[in-house]
Amino acid sequence: MATGMDLRSAPLGEPLTLLRVDDPLLGQRLATLGLREGVSFRLLTHTVGGGRILLVDGSRIALGSDLVRRLRARAA
Amino acid sequence: MSESTHPRVTGSVTPETSHPRSAARLAPAKSCCQTPSQVSAGPRAPVVAIVGAPNTGKSTLFNALTASRVTTGNWPGTTVEVSRGVWRATPPASPCTRGGCADGHEESTQDLTVLDLPGAYSLDAHSPDEHLTRELLQEGPVDERPDLCVVTVDASRLAHGLYLVAQVRELPLRVVVAMTMSDVALQRGVSIDSHALAEGLGCPVVTTDPRRRTGLDTLAAVVRTTLAAPVPAPRPTPDTDDALTRDDDRFTWLSAAAEQATVVPGHDRLTLSDKVDRWVTAPLLGPPVFLAVMWAVFQLTTTVATPLQDALDRLFSGPVTDTVMAGLTLVHLDGTWVEGLLVNGLVAGVGMLLTFVPLMALMFVLLALLEDSGYLARAAVVTDRLMRTIGLPGRAFLPLVVGFGCNVPAISATRILPDARQRLLTVLLVPFTSCSARLTVFVMLGTVFFGRNAGTAVFGMYVASVALIVLVGLLLRRTLWRTMGSEPLIIDLPAYHVPTLRLMALVVWQRVRGFLRTASGIIVITVSAVWLLQSVPAVAGQSFGHVGVEDSVYGVVARTVSPVFEPAGFNQWQTASALMVGFVAKEAVISSWAQTYATDQPQPGQSGLLGEHIQAAFQQSSGGHTLPAVLAFMVFLLAYTPCVATLAAQRREVGLRWTAFGVAVQLATAWLLAVAVFQVGRLFW
Repeated sequence: MATGMDLRSAPLGEPLTLLRVDDPLLGQRLATLGLREGVSFRLLTHTVGGGRILLVDGSRIALGSDLVRRLRARAA
Repeated sequence: MSESTHPRVTGSVTPETSHPRSAARLAPAKSCCQTPSQVSAGPRAPVVAIVGAPNTGKSTLFNALTASRVTTGNWPGTTVEVSRGVWRATPPASPCTRGGCADGHEESTQDLTVLDLPGAYSLDAHSPDEHLTRELLQEGPVDERPDLCVVTVDASRLAHGLYLVAQVRELPLRVVVAMTMSDVALQRGVSIDSHALAEGLGCPVVTTDPRRRTGLDTLAAVVRTTLAAPVPAPRPTPDTDDALTRDDDRFTWLSAAAEQATVVPGHDRLTLSDKVDRWVTAPLLGPPVFLAVMWAVFQLTTTVATPLQDALDRLFSGPVTDTVMAGLTLVHLDGTWVEGLLVNGLVAGVGMLLTFVPLMALMFVLLALLEDSGYLARAAVVTDRLMRTIGLPGRAFLPLVVGFGCNVPAISATRILPDARQRLLTVLLVPFTSCSARLTVFVMLGTVFFGRNAGTAVFGMYVASVALIVLVGLLLRRTLWRTMGSEPLIIDLPAYHVPTLRLMALVVWQRVRGFLRTASGIIVITVSAVWLLQSVPAVAGQSFGHVGVEDSVYGVVARTVSPVFEPAGFNQWQTASALMVGFVAKEAVISSWAQTYATDQPQPGQSGLLGEHIQAAFQQSSGGHTLPAVLAFMVFLLAYTPCVATLAAQRREVGLRWTAFGVAVQLATAWLLAVAVFQVGRLFW
């Protein structure tokens, strides 16, 4: 069940926890970058085209706008 | 492992996508900018494969170990071929300890064959590059696998680098972890106990900084000790086929190993990179910053290189030509066909090529600066929206950026794209990126026709190149690939860092050398062929070597073709002939002009008047609308087939049919745009 908020409406700089990623392939790809369900992360900045850069386990990951809409998180 | 059982790495290795389980096939890789390093330590030498997530210092480590020439850059997707080199592994003078080093190391040097595999976050094979890495490590026969696997892990991003370690540890392989970027980790307040990490991972961990060449001797000792030991048992995994369960097991295992070895600050600190990213990737500021950076690159390139080019031009048209003429007079060959070949052909052609070395070197320095600093990864984020309009993911920008240096490696770099149709579309679009060979012609025409605004004119061609990519991409997307989806943008951003002088020098030298090596070969062959065609008379009453260019076979063919360009304003046969030669390689366009005009009126020092000849030609063919005709010519040059080497690379990646389709699209686009530019331009100029 989708709960929490999508990353588009999540605040910058606040600790967030990633909720379940519906697409298994996408989930696997994000997981290899350290972004898994239950992991804590922060959004750092907005990027061109509505994307975000997030900080997870020391990594800076740039995500496009469509992904930002698809991923959901809750305040940690 | 003997070399005979490892034939896959004796040439450039490419993934066989149509037969995913077959061994990677051999393919000749020839590029005007680079060729994969291919040296081995001999059939009996142990083989060490370097693997790791993109941008963890793999290629830099390979270069440091082998002193080889592999393209390195601070952005993902740099390694697109498997390179091989010899590592003269010499342990440190004094023994080190576990976690780093092992007891009982040998003092003598041991030669090891080292493979630099494409970057892979995992062995799950989301892209052909990752597939190739998996194939070489996991799917081939056991006796064909490397003897040892060095996994590079970025200490500042330990958790996500260890996923690959977890998968490699599940294979029957000797594994050594090379931990890079420890300085970046320390700056972020992260400290890692390599001994504890080695305990957790069940394999040696060596801290190394390949950019500054530290820790390499320790790595040598550990690798040699590990090679001398039997292959360890693979890490036990849950007895299940469920991918999620296996993943959970891996993450539990690597999290435990990372946690027991890492001391991190309470929260991730914001770094200078984060602050810079707020500006350079910002929605409003990002695109102008990107354009400003690109403009600065081309403006700097043209303004700084021009005086050096002029000096070299004077050297070749003066003292060098005089010396060759004097030598020919001495052996009584002046006034013969030998003089035509040597002075008007080779000296003029090769001399013209060499005058562009400062330009190329400067361009490569600036691009290396952008790569090594980490900015190009941000550029991919900034351009993602633009790429998405043509159905390509942001990371398709990376091969396209490579294309601005040279189209050939750019074609290979499309393998970082996971979707076959996206790869095909990108392969078809790469030839529209304005490669450095075209830059030489643009700079020359810019200097001749636009004077002090040459830099802006050249920059304009790069903007036109981007527009052309979008235009053709949209056209293809709306016609042939209407159902193509698009991959979401996910880019792992490296930290910005001050470029290393040695690394930059290595990259620049490699590219300039590659340019010279390929271009000089092409120039010599082309110049000789042009000279031969110009020496063979096409009309009766003239003899070999004593025929005006216009009456030669060369002139007749060019005159037959030239009317095609009349609506575009450049139907002079000399201009058409330069375009014919340019189909082989753009490096040869200027030398063809130099050769044609010098041969036509063979007075000494003729090549110095080349600009005036070209000006006169455009003025005449355009009926006085010189600037629109020059712009139309530049647009044609930008859009039509870059060179035969690119065609060869395309054929290798997408087959003959799509390559032929690409050529048709390029020629049609080039002609239509050139005609449009001239016909519209003549209304105003």
